[in-house]
Amino acid sequence: MKDDAPTPRGRTLALGALVLLGGFAVMVLEIVGARYLQPWFGGAFYVWTSQIGIVMLALALGYGVGGHMADRFKKARFLSLLLAPAGIFILLIPQMAPGMLDGIVDRHMKSSASVPSAEPTASEAVRTGLVITETNLLAEIPKDFLEGKTNNAANNLPAPPIDEAPPSEIPAVWRKLDPAIGSALVFLFPCFVLAMISPFMVRLAARQVAHVGTVSGLVYAASTVGSIAGVFISAYVLIDLFTTTQIFQMTGALTLGLGGLCCLIDWQWPEDLQDD
Amino acid sequence: MLTVALLCVAVAEGAVRYRSQSAHNQIVVEDKGGYRMLRFNGSMETRLLIANPLLGHFEYTDYFQMPLLWNPKAKRVLVMGLGGGSTQRAFQGYYPTVHVDTVELDPAVAKVAKEWFGVKETKTHTIHISDGRGYLRRNKNRKYEAIMMDAYSSNTYGSFIPYHLATKEFFQLAAEDLTANGVLAYNVIGTYQEWRADIVGSMYRTMKTVFPHVYHFPAADSQNIVLLGVKANTGGLTSATLRARVDLLRRAQPKLPAYFGPRLARIRASAPPSAEQSPVLTDDHAPISKLLVPAK
Repeated sequence: MKDDAPTPRGRTLALGALVLLGGFAVMVLEIVGARYLQPWFGGAFYVWTSQIGIVMLALALGYGVGGHMADRFKKARFLSLLLAPAGIFILLIPQMAPGMLDGIVDRHMKSSASVPSAEPTASEAVRTGLVITETNLLAEIPKDFLEGKTNNAANNLPAPPIDEAPPSEIPAVWRKLDPAIGSALVFLFPCFVLAMISPFMVRLAARQVAHVGTVSGLVYAASTVGSIAGVFISAYVLIDLFTTTQIFQMTGALTLGLGGLCCLIDWQWPEDLQDD
Repeated sequence: MLTVALLCVAVAEGAVRYRSQSAHNQIVVEDKGGYRMLRFNGSMETRLLIANPLLGHFEYTDYFQMPLLWNPKAKRVLVMGLGGGSTQRAFQGYYPTVHVDTVELDPAVAKVAKEWFGVKETKTHTIHISDGRGYLRRNKNRKYEAIMMDAYSSNTYGSFIPYHLATKEFFQLAAEDLTANGVLAYNVIGTYQEWRADIVGSMYRTMKTVFPHVYHFPAADSQNIVLLGVKANTGGLTSATLRARVDLLRRAQPKLPAYFGPRLARIRASAPPSAEQSPVLTDDHAPISKLLVPAK
């Protein structure tokens, strides 16, 4: 350690903002992402299970790899090199993801080519420009029928239909695992990169071993506070006000902004780079 | 003391017959006052009269028979959401030649419906355990004369439409799986004027983006409105065509229940008042939770 001089306040704030907003972005991706996956995998339990599991996996990998990289490269701008592609990836989720997710779901489809429907078009084509009102719609139907006082004349029943092709079902194991594959394809990479911020910031902020406890505690806290905000703001505000496309674009832009902030930190406080 | 005593009486009246917890639902079967009831996560899904399982159901399920007006000799229909199987029982009872495919997410629900609500898997009824949208997607070769939507997720605050089963993209997918004369019937929980009116308006507008004609039936005994989306673009109903359809159906389906007429009498063709200010739902933007919050 070179000195005991206090870290400049601006630098501390910048590091804190990075951690906080990184935690925020991860949870926006988790919450909005789970909803985003619903058209492909359904809305229920396994989508949430896999989204939570995959984001936790991304965090574990990001913490581990991020900490190692921080010791090795030390400079915040190294993170920009990863945050930039992650930001672009998030920006492009609405364009890239549907194709990938279609692939996961459609691989269970029967290979048989789609049979064009041989149905005749509607037999009678009555076109009227009249405004329909409820009363005139019913005008010609016998009153006793509308009042439930009659029943039908019996008629000959055709034979029950025979089931042609069995329907396409997903094996139980894929019903559980498909959403996890989908979550991983779309959210593992960006959440992995965002998770690297926290250990990196511990390395940048901890100037003395004696303070590592305080610094890492503050980093965990700031990241978690950001995540809490991400959860509630996503669910209570963003989903109602914006389209998912817009939310991914905003989160991608935020991630690119965090990459810019990393460069700014290096440029603004070059003397704080550690080289021990 | 009195409240305690009353509580005891209330508890004694309704007998819980079965209780289970699946990955998706907490399921309770309860007998009370001659009725059997099914609750998911506290919210009542189905009831039936124990003495006659074709009676005692929620009236809104009767409107799921209305698509037959466009398809009097329907061969195959799809019901999304099993619950206690009111619709399935009705089809087996009144339209025994129609094959019903049921799509239900929760295998535990299928088990309870079979054990406690007389739902049978037969030559003309098959249960598929799947998400509804996934099923439609994987089975594009299979065409249905009617699709009935009654898939809700429930909790103690009530029942909620899964958004991915209520968007324009969903209805496009469903329309692909309908025959040329096909009809989609959707149970929307809500009212025209106040409670959940916005979701009724939104569902109407969203269905209207895909189906040329949308009719609706407000249930008499509960806050449900069944919307009917007609795929064929061959002119809307008139008194003459409706009359003709009724006559055809009465000839084709000899067991048509006597209540069919009174239910049909509740048909409405004009847009619900809330449709004007409610948004079309899309996969990209379906603010369902916002729509469910009543405007102040």
